[in-house]
Amino acid sequence: MTDLTKAPEPRLDIPPRFRPSGVATAVAITIGLVVVHWYAAVQTNTSPKELLEGWRGLWNFLFGVDRTYPNGKTIHQDGAFPLDLRWSETIRPGLEYCLLTIWIGLLGTTLSIPVALFFAVISSRTTNRFAPLWLTGRAVMSVLRAIPETVYALMFIAAVGFGAFPGVIALAIHNVAVMGKLWSEAMDEVDQGPVEALRVAGASPAQSAAHAVLPAVMPSLLGLLLYRFDTNVRSSVILGTVGAGGIGFFIKTEVDSFHFDTMMTYVCMVIVLIIVIDLFSAWLRRKVGTV
Amino acid sequence: MGADHLSGAAMLRIDGLRKAFGEKTVLDGLAFEVASGEVVSLLGANGSGKSTSLRCVVGLERPDGGTITVDGVTAKPGEAMPTVAMVFQKIHLVPRRSVLDNVCAGALGRLGLSRSWSVLAFPREVQAEAMACLDRVGLADRAREKAGRLSGGQQQRVAVARALCQRATVLLADEPVSALDPAASEQVMNLLRSLADDDGLAVAAVLHQPNLARRFSDRILGLAGGRLVFDSRSAEVTDETVASLYRPALEALEAAESAESAESAEMREYA
Repeated sequence: MTDLTKAPEPRLDIPPRFRPSGVATAVAITIGLVVVHWYAAVQTNTSPKELLEGWRGLWNFLFGVDRTYPNGKTIHQDGAFPLDLRWSETIRPGLEYCLLTIWIGLLGTTLSIPVALFFAVISSRTTNRFAPLWLTGRAVMSVLRAIPETVYALMFIAAVGFGAFPGVIALAIHNVAVMGKLWSEAMDEVDQGPVEALRVAGASPAQSAAHAVLPAVMPSLLGLLLYRFDTNVRSSVILGTVGAGGIGFFIKTEVDSFHFDTMMTYVCMVIVLIIVIDLFSAWLRRKVGTV
Repeated sequence: MGADHLSGAAMLRIDGLRKAFGEKTVLDGLAFEVASGEVVSLLGANGSGKSTSLRCVVGLERPDGGTITVDGVTAKPGEAMPTVAMVFQKIHLVPRRSVLDNVCAGALGRLGLSRSWSVLAFPREVQAEAMACLDRVGLADRAREKAGRLSGGQQQRVAVARALCQRATVLLADEPVSALDPAASEQVMNLLRSLADDDGLAVAAVLHQPNLARRFSDRILGLAGGRLVFDSRSAEVTDETVASLYRPALEALEAAESAESAESAEMREYA
């Protein structure tokens, strides 16, 4: 009988936690990372000195500056603070621009649903067992995804001119690729059991998709859709800055005309907008039972 | 091999079935028959090829060789047979769908996409037939409940109803009661027995409980190493015969364990 109140006699050596080869690898990786970052800092002029020198400019941007010109006149340039809180000139139009941004994000998301679903179904191995087809689906989505929304927006603005519509199209195309990928991954992870059971019953791949895969993944698809809506509203702010309508467009316009106080008001409205959309989407996702 | 005591003509006939996963041979010329109205149990240690043989019959695995015929029709390798249905240990219903919709899914093989693209498109006569199948397993009153809300035993009976809705003549069951408590197991086994007796189905079930096999089946097939080692009337199968099926596996396990401990002793020396 072992006496459990006493420590047992040591009989086995404790295996070492680190092997010498592991330590060498860790040191090499650390040195490599330091070198890469140092090089990146040199290439981008990132240094504490630059930061200190930029400080003055940032202060002037935020709180304004009196500029004295060679002719002896001094002109006050307004900074971002205090905010421009005029109702009919700034806040009310700002709210309208925010709504437009939401509409762009909403339509961009919704219009992409049918095509995204099509790509998701052909690109998941659960729903499509014909390899050439799912490889094609994945390849098309990769190519579409490689082009950022902003670039799509620039192209469509060139084609149809400034406005919210090119923004909607840009978001929809990019979202087909992103949401299609997320959805097909959700389908890949579905329990294969019911799919097999329906195959035994003679179901075609399309029937298995409709009766085993989709019912199982529907809450995940809905959660991902809400997450994409959230992301697309953010993206539509950025698209505005290149001319595709909404609050982003007016942030850009105000910066270009040195109305930093108006611009900062719009930025604050964007912050509120994004937080509200984020909370709304999180609340709705909890409601449908996914996180 | 003991085919003389079959009650009717063989409904399911498997001959010379071979299957290997990489280096490992799982089925090594397996042959057996199941007649209409007969319940046959397959016993054997893990890896003896019981489940794989059933999965070959329904086309979930593609056999390397051998023939499978159902009612005289030869199965194409890797393809489902409309007349062969299967129930699984993990049941594999769609939990979020209603009991009735799950049973209707058994009819998918004979419905075009225009009548099956959604549960809303299922024709009335299919739904009526599914209700009759549910009634057969005693669960017609639960038709509109979500399948996931039923107990394990009830879900397995819904899976049997789905198989009936497929209008199968052969019902394969891959460990149908391994996840169920004794009472539910009893109910499901009674159901399988009655489908053979009253509806003339040919039933083949992989079981891990020799007692259930003896009580509910006409014949017991013993498998080891992908081959048939005995095919006897249930009453003639002794405890010793059953134990002999698992003995090689036990010995292999012990051999593997002692090899492992020898290996770890070596590792200790190395460290």
